[in-house]
Amino acid sequence: MILHILNRSPSASRVFQQTLDAMGPEDRLLLIEDAVQGALPQLVRYFEPVIGRLFALREDLASRGLDGRCDSRVMVVDVDGFVTLTEEADKTVSWF
Amino acid sequence: MRYALLVQGGPYSHQASHSALRFAEAVLARGHHLATVFFYHDGVYNAARLSAPPQDEPHLLDAWRRLHEDHGTELLVCIAAGLRRGLLDEREAARHGKQGHSLEAPFELTGLGQLIEVGRSHDRLVTFSP
Repeated sequence: MILHILNRSPSASRVFQQTLDAMGPEDRLLLIEDAVQGALPQLVRYFEPVIGRLFALREDLASRGLDGRCDSRVMVVDVDGFVTLTEEADKTVSWF
Repeated sequence: MRYALLVQGGPYSHQASHSALRFAEAVLARGHHLATVFFYHDGVYNAARLSAPPQDEPHLLDAWRRLHEDHGTELLVCIAAGLRRGLLDEREAARHGKQGHSLEAPFELTGLGQLIEVGRSHDRLVTFSP
């Protein structure tokens, strides 16, 4: 299982599409930095194919005033959870 | 586990350096060994010796140095990316006929091949880009 890490908002960059295309059926996706916007109910549709294995970083949500505003199907993790996700993955790929 | 980070974002212009440092601290807090941080592209500016940010802002240079002092983390800087951007240690400055130097230990200029080696020899390599 690969952990994919995305840092661009789906409303500002199409790189999320490449990310989704590259993901295997077991792979997970973590949204960090501006990508956390993708966890909002208005934008989460872009990540429909990976719901259930979609995570967002709490600290980056909080710094943007978005904590508590995520779609309920997105799993919110703090930076310790980010480390855990990297422990559980065989490797990580960053998309930017 | 042995972790390595790749930092490709310039300090104070992108979040990458801050994200990487926050991740680094969490890696250490969970008992892992943060063996290496590799700086590439504009990320090499993290190593600028004379960096002097305002006192009420995070001091990235000092934070990286502390990782080395407290945890033995190797701080590797791509030499090709560094030289292009004016980041030279004393040896390179002399070799290129420049006065003064802009990079010093614990930061270390190294070749890009070292990054490949880092990818092979560490359990995890996590990239933070602009």
